[in-house]
Amino acid sequence: MEEALLRIREIRKNFGGLRAVDGVSLDVAAGSTTGLVGPNGSGKTTLFNIVFGIHKADKGSVYFNDESISHLAPHEVYARGLVNAFQLPRLFYRLTVLDNMLLAARGHKGDSFVNSLALRQEWQEQEMKLADKAMELLELLELDHLSLHPAAELSGGQRKLLEIGRALVSEPTLLLLDEPAAGINPNLGRRIFEKIETFRQKGLSFFIIEHRVEILLEFAHWIYVMDKGKIAVEGKPEEIVNNPTFYQVYFGEA
Amino acid sequence: MGERLPLVIYFLSMVNWAQVLFNSSVTGCIYLISAVGLTLTYGLSKFPNFAHAEFMTLGAYAGYFLADQLGLGFPSAFVAAFIASGILGALSYRGIFQPLAKRGASLIHLMVAAIGLGFVIRHFVGELWGWSPRSFKVTWSAFDIGIVRVSDLWLWLIFAALAMAGLMHLLLTKTKIGKAIRGTSSNPELALASGVNINRVTLVTWLVGAALAGIAGLFRGAGTRLSPMLGWDILLPTFAVTILGGIGSFYGAIAAAFIIGLAENIGVVFLTSFGISTEYRMAIAFLILIITLILRPGGLARMFR
Amino acid sequence: MDPLIYILDIIVFVGIFAIVALSLNLEYGFAGLGNFGKVAFFLTGAYTYALLSQIGLPFFLCLIIAALISASIGFLISLSALRLREDYLAIVTLTFGEILRLVVKAEHWIAGGVWGITMPSAISWAGASPRMMAAANIGLVYFCLILGFILVQLVSNSPYGRVLRAIREDETAAEALGKDRFKYKAQAFMLGSGLAGLGGGLFAQYLRFIDPYMFLPTVTFSVWIMVIIGGPANNWGALLGATLVELFSRGTRILKDYLLVPIDPNNLQYILFGLLIVFILLYRPQGLLKESQVKTKALEVISRWKKHS
Repeated sequence: MEEALLRIREIRKNFGGLRAVDGVSLDVAAGSTTGLVGPNGSGKTTLFNIVFGIHKADKGSVYFNDESISHLAPHEVYARGLVNAFQLPRLFYRLTVLDNMLLAARGHKGDSFVNSLALRQEWQEQEMKLADKAMELLELLELDHLSLHPAAELSGGQRKLLEIGRALVSEPTLLLLDEPAAGINPNLGRRIFEKIETFRQKGLSFFIIEHRVEILLEFAHWIYVMDKGKIAVEGKPEEIVNNPTFYQVYFGEA
Repeated sequence: MGERLPLVIYFLSMVNWAQVLFNSSVTGCIYLISAVGLTLTYGLSKFPNFAHAEFMTLGAYAGYFLADQLGLGFPSAFVAAFIASGILGALSYRGIFQPLAKRGASLIHLMVAAIGLGFVIRHFVGELWGWSPRSFKVTWSAFDIGIVRVSDLWLWLIFAALAMAGLMHLLLTKTKIGKAIRGTSSNPELALASGVNINRVTLVTWLVGAALAGIAGLFRGAGTRLSPMLGWDILLPTFAVTILGGIGSFYGAIAAAFIIGLAENIGVVFLTSFGISTEYRMAIAFLILIITLILRPGGLARMFR
Repeated sequence: MDPLIYILDIIVFVGIFAIVALSLNLEYGFAGLGNFGKVAFFLTGAYTYALLSQIGLPFFLCLIIAALISASIGFLISLSALRLREDYLAIVTLTFGEILRLVVKAEHWIAGGVWGITMPSAISWAGASPRMMAAANIGLVYFCLILGFILVQLVSNSPYGRVLRAIREDETAAEALGKDRFKYKAQAFMLGSGLAGLGGGLFAQYLRFIDPYMFLPTVTFSVWIMVIIGGPANNWGALLGATLVELFSRGTRILKDYLLVPIDPNNLQYILFGLLIVFILLYRPQGLLKESQVKTKALEVISRWKKHS
């Protein structure tokens, strides 16, 4: 197996009396698409939130590029190239599609107050390059014609695409996607995964929660099945489909 | 400060602490009556209604109008304050806050609207009754119980506060609407799912809450003076009680009202003995308010669940 | 009264309050912060100016220090208050304004307590007529206003301003995109407080007398009306709002003084203000002018892309 980009070790998290994540360890290989599946309430999203720093784990650690990121706030995790796209898109709805994209840029000089005044020349140039890149991505996601419309005008599927596109602007190393294909029509869901695959071939890594298991099985290299806060099974997609535990976990029958 | 210390000790030894305690409960009773309405509407509608101040002001003036200007006697003032402020509260909710909430107004918009409404009422009162302070003609007889000097008005106030607390307790625990108020406040979705008519519950809460504010305003006006700023002057202490007690918590408000009452009255004793302006009396409640919000925004409510 | 002076006086007041409106617009319109204690920072600026001018500092230094002190107080407040929920922030800032007013009212040694404080005229020269004085004041106030306006325009049309808007829309999502929301909010609050302090300094400078009753919560409320009427997140809207509100409040006084309408102008003014704000929130919550776009060179890139396709 290739070198692990993300290593999760013995993560535990309780909410009140509820054990949401119960000692999960897993690896996401560099350059892979890794899937995480499991029934509702099995702790998948909680695990993502812990990795991204939204929740703090009670125990355990998370390493990204061999650096412990367990104690970092989301904006610090982001700065290291680990980016999260929410399950329900959290766009800035009154801002334009373009603004949404530009906001995601990492290391934009004009983001700081002093530089926004002092380094105008520099950030304006950076801004133009970023806008070019954002437009390329938007074109790929078929959103370029809407670049100056408020994000509120987008349809459900387009919002999903923008959420992913926004995550891509930052040139991340690893993207956490929480159900990219949920709530949109099956064709679009498949197209989103095809786009993910093109980005993966350019060197990005993906860690994806997805209920549309049939799509995930097609695109993922390694799949973890989570149940009741633990990893129940893991393996290559073709092994997973033949594993009875997977069916038991997923469909409640053997 | 050093040479002042003996003076301070002398001063403190001369203080009639029983009187301070009694005064504290009087202060607490006014704050309790004014805060119950605020805490219930805040808990239910999820925004701080700054116009609550003017519900108090209007109640005081409505009472003044009936009791003094029409000469119907002080008891009629209670009826007037209760009804006038209650109707105003219900109208405010129906006419302004409910439509705003339905249009998806932000929290900040609701608060700005509340301040705007407050201005309308305050200056309306100012136009009708003028800005110079007025007083009730009734004189209250004062007498001593042991070493404590009391007046009829304060005994009435304490009685009113106790009666209100008892009635509210019964309302909130025994009646259908009271249970609905508590349920909706803590979990609106669940309440809606279990068939509570949230609109009606909220309307009743606004009506009762504002009516109680009117009573509080009346007592404040009778105890001090009437002015269009009457409600505003005790709004922030009322907020202090609401926040310290925990938003939406009736029982928390009871405890908080007496804590703030005590803090204010004991505070005044210390302010005077250290020779600091008693203008800072209000600042005591303000500080409690700010400190609670920053350190323990949930207030005391957790202790009462 | 000399009608020309009256008009010049209105122009000065529009300028002063336009600065304060711009400051609230930065905090609320762009960053989404509900500062209900704007008057506290206005007061700080005014009293700082008054005290410094009494010890004989030149007026421009007084103004600069007034702005800096207000900004520092804004920073101190922001440390604890900006982590609070929206409604708590509103209550805390409102209360802070009342505490500050209580202090200057009770502490006579600071600035005369309830009797207020007079200060020497900053702008005066031999043979200056009242009209010339008023005109000079307009010069000073509008010089500051233009500087302030350029500052907020630069800030709001930059990636920094874009981040502020993003935090206003959804602070969790902004944090997920790598923005340290507390840093941004604190900066916006500081800058807003500094601008409000500048406005306060100019206010004191112009009137040459201030007392605690000039700093009632009504000031905060008037500024809120300016921003909401004009259109939040639009700096031109703040200017428009300040002009409209000031003209409106003078209008009610003219009604009373010249047309002898038998209603107290102050009451009429605030009754109409209150009704107006409720009406606007119900029927045109976005204000008169739309939120302005973030204007950077990115827009040029887009128009180039549009031409290609």
